[in-house]
Amino acid sequence: MTYKRRISALAAAAVGALALSACGGGASTAGSDGGSKSLTLGSVVEASAWDPAQAHVGHYIPMYEAAYDTLILRSPDGQLEPMLATDWSWSKDKKLFTLNLRDDVTFSDGATFDGEAVKANFEHFKKDNGPQASTMQNVESVEVVDADTVAYHLSAPDPALPIYLSNAAGFMGSPQALESQAIDSVPVGSGPYVMDESATIAGSQYTFKKREGYWNPELQKFDTVTFKVMPDTTARLNALVSGQIDAALLDPKSEAQASGAGLVLTKQQVDWQGMFLFDRAGDQVKALGDVKVRQAINHAIDRKSILDAVLLGQGTVTSQIFGESTSAFDESLENYYDYDPAKAKELLAEAGYADGFTLKMPSATGFDPVIYSSITQQLGAIGITVKQENLEGNEFRNRVLSGDYPASYYGIFQGEPWIAIGHHVGKDAAFNPQGYTDATSQKLIDRVQQGGKDGDDAAKELNRYVTEQAWFVPFFRVDQMFFNSKDITVQQQIQQAVPSLYNYAPAA
Amino acid sequence: MLPFILRRLGAGIVLLFAITTITYVMLYFSSKNIAHNILGEFATPEQIAAKQAELGLDQPLFARYADWLGGALTGDLGRSWFNSEPVLQALSSRLPVTLSIVVTALLVATLLAAALGIAAAVKRGWIDRAVQFFSLAADALPSFVIAIILVTVLAIGLGLFPATGYVAFGSNPSLWLASITLPVLALIFQLTASSAQQFRSAIIEVRRRDYVRTLRSRGLGEREVLVKHVLRSAAPPALTILSLQFIGLLGGSVIVEQIFALPGIGPLAIASTTKGDIPVVMGIVVYTVIMVIIVNLIVDLVNGWLNPKVRVS
Repeated sequence: MTYKRRISALAAAAVGALALSACGGGASTAGSDGGSKSLTLGSVVEASAWDPAQAHVGHYIPMYEAAYDTLILRSPDGQLEPMLATDWSWSKDKKLFTLNLRDDVTFSDGATFDGEAVKANFEHFKKDNGPQASTMQNVESVEVVDADTVAYHLSAPDPALPIYLSNAAGFMGSPQALESQAIDSVPVGSGPYVMDESATIAGSQYTFKKREGYWNPELQKFDTVTFKVMPDTTARLNALVSGQIDAALLDPKSEAQASGAGLVLTKQQVDWQGMFLFDRAGDQVKALGDVKVRQAINHAIDRKSILDAVLLGQGTVTSQIFGESTSAFDESLENYYDYDPAKAKELLAEAGYADGFTLKMPSATGFDPVIYSSITQQLGAIGITVKQENLEGNEFRNRVLSGDYPASYYGIFQGEPWIAIGHHVGKDAAFNPQGYTDATSQKLIDRVQQGGKDGDDAAKELNRYVTEQAWFVPFFRVDQMFFNSKDITVQQQIQQAVPSLYNYAPAA
Repeated sequence: MLPFILRRLGAGIVLLFAITTITYVMLYFSSKNIAHNILGEFATPEQIAAKQAELGLDQPLFARYADWLGGALTGDLGRSWFNSEPVLQALSSRLPVTLSIVVTALLVATLLAAALGIAAAVKRGWIDRAVQFFSLAADALPSFVIAIILVTVLAIGLGLFPATGYVAFGSNPSLWLASITLPVLALIFQLTASSAQQFRSAIIEVRRRDYVRTLRSRGLGEREVLVKHVLRSAAPPALTILSLQFIGLLGGSVIVEQIFALPGIGPLAIASTTKGDIPVVMGIVVYTVIMVIIVNLIVDLVNGWLNPKVRVS
């Protein structure tokens, strides 16, 4: 073979390799469908399995809402409204929650929605052990009273149950599909949209088309809904600015470019960040057992400067752990602890720690390093020596939750009081790894658990108590920076990282 | 030729087995908290224990590895622990995307590097200095910085290319080309820079050899000497470097795929290693090692084809 023919053959092989490598890859992900009847959202996360038992909350919710209805609908301002359930009620002892159901709903595979379907979903939800399975831990069973009525039997009152039934635990899948592995890849629900498998690439893009004959056409604002998975903030920003997507969550550093491109900004506060003082009993660090020491730490932190440095001021400085949208919120507690290093030193001296002490804390790459350097510097200024131990990702979380550290910086969701208690206040809360409790807080928690007006009052009292006792050192509530194009309108969803799917509509 | 190929494939299988075993053992010792990762921060101890039992995380190392290996030998790489997607399916859908940009970048960079290297080696003078300056400058600029500049100017500023996303070749060839242009451009700078230097050095070295001087003294034109003789001798080291760069590109494309939101192996690798999705991580390791083996074999065969002196009989 001559040299020229060899080169030609090489070139042909190269082109062939290129063409072969370009084949496949499934549906295309570039470009927006355009037009006001399609909605394309940039998602921070990819979907978990589509089995409703594997549903998660927060960023995941709108994806599941495309295919699944919930028993109860939570409106953007937090009101609970009918969805698959038309109405509901509690028994007097708060251990029986009865729901009346719609009788005109079918799943996308033709199965009928009824009481048996609710029971099947509940049992599947518990058995399948998904990320939100713990929300049903107080529910012992679901009784099918009749075709259109179910009763949730609880082992103990759970005032958050209606809220859980408005998100992950409330998603209803077709009972025929629940036990099949196929539902992990393709959802089978009664929701407003059905997955368009030809335009879906797992882990990259999920496309849904309007479901014909859906029982609530008012919720179907679009003909097509597409979720593009974009964990990278730069990618989401570029896609928004270039018009490839209609809405996405960005961050404070993107604001200038996004606003300059004419995108609409809405802010939402969902989390608080600050220090968790786990060792309130003083078992690991004796000093933390003294309320004056914990209060001193609160006074030593310049919250505003850290907020400005880390989040460009996008947030609200606070001294309380309960969110503005909850019944526990108390405006008078917002600035309970002002930045006052002199007062902090005074409190330390009163507690017998004029010379300070050493505090071991973990640091994680997930948080801005300025936070840790600020904590070290500001606590150092009042005599507390902070020893940081750098941990990676999941190891950080796991060691914090194991109780290895007396304190840690963290960010956590600000849900309704009972949810917050379950997350980080109650003695069995995940973020109370040392199980700290006392008689006062437990009495208040017991009242919150009963719900109602007294439960709301108790939540406020509990907020004041944990603030005065300095169980935590809240720094600020974080502004979620959500941007959308002017082609759509969006309403933020209370206590949720991103808006529910129902909150989007084409612009008039 | 055939015995050579079979020997190399045999060695490749041993290599694959060794690497996957070592990787699995390392992942085993970091898998203590994966159930917690899957279930989230608020999982109860009972939930975590149940998930560990479900995924076999409570089994000893040997049992878990044997289970995985048994499946892998029959083509079943398992399912993602996080979204239950079959690993083979996840890789098969994403690999073409990564190969699209990597192979294209490699081809374009090779052509550019060869042209620049030849020009620098033959012409010398200001061209040589310019090529060396370009190599230094391109080496100093990380591919993700170039990517961001390209997106800002060419996609968002001028609207010439999509800022994110991928179109399969089969769906629309021209949109496919548009969707990979910026990612490829982001990758080829450093690749061209280092390859051009390799071509330049190899060509300079070969041109100095006695046989080349002899060819010139026999009256062969400079072009004929260069194309028919010098390049053939200079090709092997350059090809070897390119094969190494292909392997490096598989890792280097990760950040570019993130910035352009391409559904390739990169984001999958990041997500699976961060979360501890062991079946997916192992699948990526298997695919990567197989590609390295194949690429090295192809380079050896091409080297032998171009230059009979380096053939292994």
